Amino acid sequence: MVYGNNQIWSQWTVDDIHAKADLGRYRIRGMSTHQRVTHFDDLTFLSTGLTRFPLEGYKEQCSTRVELGGLNAENPLVIETPIYITGMSWGALSANAKIALGKAASMVGTASCTGDGGMLPAEREASDKLIYQVLPSRYGANPNHMATAQAIEIVVGQGAKPGTGGLLMGVKVLDEIAESRDLPPGIDQRSPARHPDWLGPDDLAIKIEQLREATDWQVPIHVKLGACRVSDDVKLAAKAGADAIVIDSMVAGTGASAEILLDHSGIPTVPAIVLAREALREIGLYRKVSLIASGGIRNGADVAKALALGADAVAIGIAALIALNCNRDIPESDFEKEIGLPAGQCNRCHTGRCPVGIATQDPELVKRLDPDEGAERVANFLNSMTMELALLTRSLGKGDVKSLEPEDLAALTIEASVMARVPLVGTDKVFGT
Amino acid sequence: MTTRELNRRIKASIEEGADEIVIKNPSARHNIAVGVRRPCKITIEGSVGYYAASQLDGPEISIEGNAGWALGENLMSGKITLSKSAGASVAASMRGGEIFIGGNAGARAGISMKGGTLLIAGDSGFLTGFMMQKGRIIVCGDIGDAAGDSMYEGTIYVGGMVDSLGTDAKYEESTEDELIELWAELERNGVAGRPRFRKIVSQKKLYHYDTLERLERTLI
Repeated sequence: MVYGNNQIWSQWTVDDIHAKADLGRYRIRGMSTHQRVTHFDDLTFLSTGLTRFPLEGYKEQCSTRVELGGLNAENPLVIETPIYITGMSWGALSANAKIALGKAASMVGTASCTGDGGMLPAEREASDKLIYQVLPSRYGANPNHMATAQAIEIVVGQGAKPGTGGLLMGVKVLDEIAESRDLPPGIDQRSPARHPDWLGPDDLAIKIEQLREATDWQVPIHVKLGACRVSDDVKLAAKAGADAIVIDSMVAGTGASAEILLDHSGIPTVPAIVLAREALREIGLYRKVSLIASGGIRNGADVAKALALGADAVAIGIAALIALNCNRDIPESDFEKEIGLPAGQCNRCHTGRCPVGIATQDPELVKRLDPDEGAERVANFLNSMTMELALLTRSLGKGDVKSLEPEDLAALTIEASVMARVPLVGTDKVFGT
Repeated sequence: MTTRELNRRIKASIEEGADEIVIKNPSARHNIAVGVRRPCKITIEGSVGYYAASQLDGPEISIEGNAGWALGENLMSGKITLSKSAGASVAASMRGGEIFIGGNAGARAGISMKGGTLLIAGDSGFLTGFMMQKGRIIVCGDIGDAAGDSMYEGTIYVGGMVDSLGTDAKYEESTEDELIELWAELERNGVAGRPRFRKIVSQKKLYHYDTLERLERTLI
């Protein structure tokens, strides 16, 4: 077939080469990959008919509560909805955004998570359930802060840019952020990719024991992996003693990344969950070690499909920021003038010029985000997603989201059938098996 | 006694107001005296494994023996004294306080260090001070390859030879005032000799990307 446009030398490719010819380095942006990948939209639910009957979609009870990391911790993380706010740093985000996310999580009985910049005390105050990340950079790492957390998350990799560390451009490393990270103000911060104190899975086992001792075995230890060699990584993390494994896929978001990593590393969320599930099953730890999926979760259907494929919970980042007003024209903003792109197309988080006060440290821009109003919107969104999840679950005849299973799903494409290991619609064939 | 029981007992003893805690026969076990966040005195009679005396804020800990990886990791305040040698990543991401190593230190000593002082009476290994951010590393002996690689700030003082400097690191001469202060530090820790320390600091050439994209130039 002959196309009107050149497939190889598309307008975007030409512009990309021009930009790099000007720059002399890789390009950087925020948001997530531009790759077209198999995602949750390629799956559909097989709701009830004559073989099984539904629950009343709007009325009958449907439990959405989940417990995470109960394998070793005295106090597992119990959340009222299987959706929590993923780690995003104070630095990448404004303090107002972090406070709003923490408040929203508390309003719906779920958790928020710190990020690559240590714990913002105001987020601790806002969030009833805070997950404390231990990252390669250890910026702001403080055992006194860690001791107050409801779960610890060792970050091995991030789905948006696996195999590398965080990135925070100097325009966002203002005095307060620099001080909290022990960095010179204004530098383009490129975080380490490796942890300073451990390297391989045998060391990780000792590190996990250390964090348990530091927190008196009270809270779960999560391990977050960028989804690449999922099967081996999940088995190694579980064997090292993780209570929960977060699998963060290539479609997950970021405030700043080399574009080449965003688009050309990692695997999508659907196969990542299935590979992780099978890896845990193979070593007898499925449903014992909790599985958390992140990357491209946008609505209750995505959550339900992730759970049906085998996840115990999901974490959201970009969706929560959009609920906070990311990419929305608000009266105070002028996207074209302030960021050079219209609302809806902005991925310029790394410039620190966020017109809605989320991904910025500029005091004037930060004022555009009211933490209380923002928290309200994010809480509404979390509630909406949870209601959508419960609605789908009831339509499948189930009264608990934990009962969702692969049998509830069918694939709309052959690729999705292969990756999700469910039958292609119109057939009883699971391709690739 | 398991490690968990041992650490619980240490913390309970501190809560009960014990002046000094002595741990005998540590068996080079990992994770001894982790997460103690109060001023107290702990003596460990024997060698320890990985992560000994890590995630601390306030204690004074003396270890009579050798240590495995990541001794004193993330120390906030207090003092750790090790009579013999330390494995890799001693003082990793340390933020304050003092760590004294009576023997040698392995690779990545003072990696990601964010404050405080690491004093090594002997030699230290490959990538000493890697991505160091703040604080002081004082090595009386020699340093292996890639010393001070990608360091942001902070200072590595070296009394002996350096196999090679890391990316973006450079030498500077120490001032007389610095030398006097360093020698006093050695004396306080019972280290003989007065080496003419050289300094390794950052060239600061990796602080920024050289260029911005056209759109970014109008924004940043």
